[in-house]
Amino acid sequence: MTLRSLLLTLLLVSVSTPLLAQIPRQRAVTNEPAEIFWAPTLVHTSTVTNLPRKNLNFTIMHAFGVVSNGVEDLFGLDGAANIRFGLDYGVTDRLSIGFGRSRFDKLYDFRFKANLLRQTTSNSVPLDVAIKGDVGINTIKNGFDFNDRLSYLAAVMVARKFSDKLSLQVTPMFSHFNTVFILRGADGEIIEEENDHIAVAVGGRFLLSERWGLVAEYIPVIGSRSDDTNDTLSLGLEVETGGHVFQLFFTTSQWMTEQHTIARNADDFFNGDIRWGFNVNRVFGGH
Amino acid sequence: MLFVNRTQRFARRVVLFVTLVVLLPLVSQAQTFQTERGHAEFRSEVPLHSFTGTSENLVGQIDLMDHTVDFYIDLNTLKTGIGKRDKDMKKTLDTDQYPFAEFFGQLVTPFDTNSHAVQPAIVRGEFKIHGITKQVEITGSLQKTADGIRVQAAWELDLDDYDIEPPSLLIVKVNPIQDIQIDALLSPVPVALGQ
Repeated sequence: MTLRSLLLTLLLVSVSTPLLAQIPRQRAVTNEPAEIFWAPTLVHTSTVTNLPRKNLNFTIMHAFGVVSNGVEDLFGLDGAANIRFGLDYGVTDRLSIGFGRSRFDKLYDFRFKANLLRQTTSNSVPLDVAIKGDVGINTIKNGFDFNDRLSYLAAVMVARKFSDKLSLQVTPMFSHFNTVFILRGADGEIIEEENDHIAVAVGGRFLLSERWGLVAEYIPVIGSRSDDTNDTLSLGLEVETGGHVFQLFFTTSQWMTEQHTIARNADDFFNGDIRWGFNVNRVFGGH
Repeated sequence: MLFVNRTQRFARRVVLFVTLVVLLPLVSQAQTFQTERGHAEFRSEVPLHSFTGTSENLVGQIDLMDHTVDFYIDLNTLKTGIGKRDKDMKKTLDTDQYPFAEFFGQLVTPFDTNSHAVQPAIVRGEFKIHGITKQVEITGSLQKTADGIRVQAAWELDLDDYDIEPPSLLIVKVNPIQDIQIDALLSPVPVALGQ
């Protein structure tokens, strides 16, 4: 073989060899909804996090009596507790419907949540925006008409995941009770309730690790409000175990639905009215 | 005169060389089929429960000239329908360090490109996941269609073979044997794009 033939052969081989090579491996470019919170609820308020389609979320919310009752009541564990069992179902990836039942007021509530905007991992959409509606039905036997038993909530949740660790949410809310009362307090004072309340909740989560996070939530009422009510403050820990999300917290309010938390909370966090509570969320996938 | 003959012979060789250089890739690429949107799925089982993860980001190439078969998938694109489970799955597979599951090997059975029937196919080669490579033989089928070649295959993957610790759901562990399936339509590579 002459030198020229050898060169020709080498050139041909070099040209044909790349065809045998593997496809260059490239990471897929994805632009998915960011995981802003782990659970559909932070403490009392709903988060922008929604259930994927055909997923079912079972929730247990529990709040005991106030810690300040001391050891006699085992720091509130012996006190009257409110508990809510709830089920939510993902109709689509952006719409869920649900219902729940709370011990206080023997309340049944029906709700929906819809994501209008979803923050993406690429930040092409920088915010998550969701709306929520809830109708509560007080079922205590008191002779009231059905219409008098109803309470309502409308909320807009605006949230952003600022980093892998920090997520914040602002939630303007409006609540309405068809029936309110004028009561006489223990000291003879008149306590007048309002039908409507506006609140702007702020809340967030700061991750301590892949499984643990700190959560905080403050629900100040804006404008006029029912007498003898206070804003709700909650501080807690969130634990994600793979199948469950546990939220363990100290909070002011025992109420589980936002409209009641806004309009009915009579306790004051900074006056020592702090109670222990927890939420358990378990998602069942239908995929 | 002798000099002219040598020059002509050299010129002919140059023309032949250039022709081969230009035509060889074209001939090869006419036999090459690719996709970037193939379907891949796995099925995991625990007692009384099972779940499926899917992805539509299977990338693959079959070259009928040299019989090479090359597939890979970015494991981060697999979705099981539950975000938290996806996160756990990525952690189990350590996708930050090992983002791909990949196969590279040879088609060892004949394939009749003139037939539109489903033809059984066997490939042999290396399957790599979690940083570990094993020799495998996978059985599937190939079918020539109007749009290209449809590839279907199914096999079992033992997580233990690849040092993947099966995750736990509550107190029971996921079965280490995973059922894997792929289904992809590979389109012929356009000549102009292949150069």
